[in-house]
Amino acid sequence: MNERVVVIGGGPAGLSAAIAAGRLGAPVTVVEKLGYLGGRPIEEKYASLTPHLEDAEVVMNRMAADLESCADVEILLQSEVVGVSEGNAPFQVTIQTPQGAVERVAPAVILATGFQHFDPGRETQLYGYYEFPDVIALQDLEAMLKEGSVVRPSNGQPPKRVCFVQCVGSRDRQIGNEYCSKVCCGVASKEATEVRMALPDSEVFIFYIDMRMYGYWESQIYWPAQEKHHVQYVKGIITEVLPKEGRLLVRGEDTTMGRPMEIPMDLVVLSVGMEPSFGTRRMAQMLGIKQNKYGFVEAQNPPLDTVSTSREGVFAVGTALGPADLEDCASTGGLAAARAVARLGSRVGG
Amino acid sequence: MPAATLDPHLKRDRVAGHEEFPVELKERLIGKVMDDPRFPEYLYGCYECGICVAACPSARFYDFSPRRIAQAASRRDVELMFQQMQEDIWECSQCFSCLRCPRGNNPGGVVTIMREVAVKEGLHTAKEALAGYSRIIYKIMSTGTQVSPDMLQPDAFPDWGPEVKDVSENLDLWRRMLPPETLHTTATGWKVADRTLVELYVIWLETGALDMIAQVDKGIHMILEELMEEKLEEEGIEV
Repeated sequence: MNERVVVIGGGPAGLSAAIAAGRLGAPVTVVEKLGYLGGRPIEEKYASLTPHLEDAEVVMNRMAADLESCADVEILLQSEVVGVSEGNAPFQVTIQTPQGAVERVAPAVILATGFQHFDPGRETQLYGYYEFPDVIALQDLEAMLKEGSVVRPSNGQPPKRVCFVQCVGSRDRQIGNEYCSKVCCGVASKEATEVRMALPDSEVFIFYIDMRMYGYWESQIYWPAQEKHHVQYVKGIITEVLPKEGRLLVRGEDTTMGRPMEIPMDLVVLSVGMEPSFGTRRMAQMLGIKQNKYGFVEAQNPPLDTVSTSREGVFAVGTALGPADLEDCASTGGLAAARAVARLGSRVGG
Repeated sequence: MPAATLDPHLKRDRVAGHEEFPVELKERLIGKVMDDPRFPEYLYGCYECGICVAACPSARFYDFSPRRIAQAASRRDVELMFQQMQEDIWECSQCFSCLRCPRGNNPGGVVTIMREVAVKEGLHTAKEALAGYSRIIYKIMSTGTQVSPDMLQPDAFPDWGPEVKDVSENLDLWRRMLPPETLHTTATGWKVADRTLVELYVIWLETGALDMIAQVDKGIHMILEELMEEKLEEEGIEV
């Protein structure tokens, strides 16, 4: 029987899982809905990856090449899983490809369908994201950095003063996303550093609730941003953005200084958090696996088993499980690969 | 880097009672502070965590916060730093308890630099802050010592804590329990060996410390200069 590990999603976590399974000698099928591998970093045109500022395209291309070098790997682009058999593994997985539907037999399915950026217009029109052209989000700035041109969308001029507003769509009971999105502090600090390097005369502020720089990100990103690049960290969240004389007035409190503040900005960057992607929600439903109240896949035995889902033989990795950084994606990918490969042939365990 | 807070839209406390200074002057003086070779090692970045305030004796008794010093400097906030150079820095007791900063900052050291610039530039507020210290400056610079324990008024310095009162009640007994050999009193405290005085005077003159006094008190400066030159002349030393 031609059993294969089916990985749904070709982003950092899916690629990590597929490469690991491939290197363990397993036949692997990767199903990717887009026409290319690489996931969010490529789709959203990230300039560089956190924390080491490597070129996102270079890194993701390297992963794609690693995958292609595996012995028995099948990469199905522009393809989607449209059906999974009921009952116990092995599963009959139906995949719609541009050439038509194909069937694969999978003792293990790895769900790597990822996240989407929080939409600042989802509940209410937060900070005028859809109203003011100079209010953008982290991924919009990434695309500008990749183009090598950080400008105000309203007039094409380089901004003199830029600010990041943290926790947009995260840690918010009213929005419903009570969780911390984990990476935005680091990503905003990384982008702030890149803006300061690209525009040395600019002033860059980060307005935050509290900075969450775990582990080495402290000295890799936070300290250099503040000490070397003089990014201004101000504890206090912006309440609103108002247009004023061609600029954007941000209003908030400088909490540690104990005073209200109103500062005109040229570019306001919303540090939007993570939400389960449409693909994660749909695939979780199709596979019949439990999701938590936010729509992410619920890991069944945390903290030491991060990848098992409520259905035996189905594993979830990366940001399908909740907010995650790239290290999380790589580690959950590797763990899920090991657990999946252990289920191939007679070696049913995991 | 231009100051973020020069912006008219940024609300801040106004310093009551001080004359207005042109922006250029503020930038020049704060530029001197930030260009000081010690500055990069005294100020990295500020977490705004407040551990320095918790450790600071002055913060308990005055409207002084080493965190605000570090924050203003970390943010390159010219307006606020200048305001602090007019007021806050004179409330620091320079005990350096703030050195326990997890980022390795030294807010007290930043205060030291700001004081030096304030004095060298002859800021009116520096003169004002130091006006009451003429006698102390005279004693320290002429003898190298200023107080002996029996001079202390138990309630003169609230930031020394309430224990001062208890200690001063049985001061003589306490001092006999402690290791220092000298039991100086006002009668003996200012008797300093000639060799020590000569070394001190050379230091004051060579480092420019005496020149700084000229900025805050011309009278004291004149007296000290005469005293020092006379002493050094006796010893055949030319500075």
